[in-house]
Amino acid sequence: MIQKKICMVGVYGTGKTCLVQQFVQSIFSVKYLSTVGVKIDRKEVKIGNLDVTLMLWDLEGRDGTHDVNASYVRGAHGVIYVADGTRPDTAQQLIEIRELVEKSVGRIPSVVALNKIDLTEEWKLAAADEAGAGGSDLHRLRTSAKSGEGVEETFEWVARAAVASSGGDQ
Amino acid sequence: MTVAIDSFGITDKGKVRENNQDNFLIVEIRKSIDVQHSSLSADALKNRFGAAQGHLFVVADGVGGGPAGEMASEGAVAALLKYAGEAVGCFNSFSAAKEHELFETLEQTVRGVHEKLRADHEGKRGPAPATTLTMLLLIWPRAYLVHVGDSRAYVRRGDRVQQLTRDQTFGEYMITIGAWTEEAAARAKPSATLSSAVGGTEMAPVVGLIDLEPGDGLLLCTDGLTKHVTNDRIAEAMTGSESAEAIGRRLLEEALGGGGTDNIAVIVVKSLPKS
Repeated sequence: MIQKKICMVGVYGTGKTCLVQQFVQSIFSVKYLSTVGVKIDRKEVKIGNLDVTLMLWDLEGRDGTHDVNASYVRGAHGVIYVADGTRPDTAQQLIEIRELVEKSVGRIPSVVALNKIDLTEEWKLAAADEAGAGGSDLHRLRTSAKSGEGVEETFEWVARAAVASSGGDQ
Repeated sequence: MTVAIDSFGITDKGKVRENNQDNFLIVEIRKSIDVQHSSLSADALKNRFGAAQGHLFVVADGVGGGPAGEMASEGAVAALLKYAGEAVGCFNSFSAAKEHELFETLEQTVRGVHEKLRADHEGKRGPAPATTLTMLLLIWPRAYLVHVGDSRAYVRRGDRVQQLTRDQTFGEYMITIGAWTEEAAARAKPSATLSSAVGGTEMAPVVGLIDLEPGDGLLLCTDGLTKHVTNDRIAEAMTGSESAEAIGRRLLEEALGGGGTDNIAVIVVKSLPKS
């Protein structure tokens, strides 16, 4: 079985844990609990003919007192950068966060999840913010951890890219 | 900078229960080589092979009355002790694949205990013996966590104490999915029922990790402590400059002073900066 380590990174409160919970357990948590350290979940997916185990590393979010811990990203095969569509600064900070991540692991398959698309009234990301989140070269998807919209696609995209880039090596 | 680890564990049956179904374990794991003969001086050999490679900290709270609960928590802790003895080979290898292997082995150990408890109870009457289990494997600076049930792990950094684990109870689940408010959960009797336990009908271990910094502290405890000592009080005790033993004894006293309605197990760990 091929294993791929996928890291969820971003500012605190953007919904990283909820996205993983929706993808792995199909539930949405209404209670906000900030992640301390890293929470690790596992999900098996099929990519073409390959059975792949995704090890999902949900990293504590960047806040006023501490940054993303680059040592958690070491050995990752893919990254999901998460921004909250109701807080434009969370999308703007992805450029810096990405620099930090890439210092540790170099360029690896990455995708941006513009989360909380269900909050249509509160959505504050302008088209330019969306296009530039994390860098214009990254693939991006709108997601809702609450409704599940875009969640499966986001994880599948990064899993496919991780498998393609390493040719099936672990 | 290196660190010295100061740790202390204590358990008490409390003031109400007749027996103690809580267990704890503190292990210092060393890679050792037995030097039979050597021309090297005693000084040259001293401490060469004796440095601690890791530490294992475990608390477990047996579920169900009588010897069944005791057996479950003791069995789980003993299985992890066996694991610690075999795990030395996993150290000093921090590729992502090796780390995942380490997690798998830890999880597998917990699943093994779970399956054994279930199998031993097959055909017998009443609920199967079960236990909570919260364990931290510390290979400085990384602390690997495996958690099942409602015992807890906390981390202290500076003057901030944060809970690393979430209680796996029915009440917590209902709050999470939005079916109950915190107040409703506090009132409801089945709130404290475990939604996941080693040996129970459901077992869903949560795994995680955290990189510690010199000066950080850890607390592992069973719910016998948290029923009587608030998170604020825990934070106050943990942020003081006392030894791990003094903090552990003080927290136990507070739980007993608050009623001691359940068995109590506490492990306090302090990392002391060493230049």
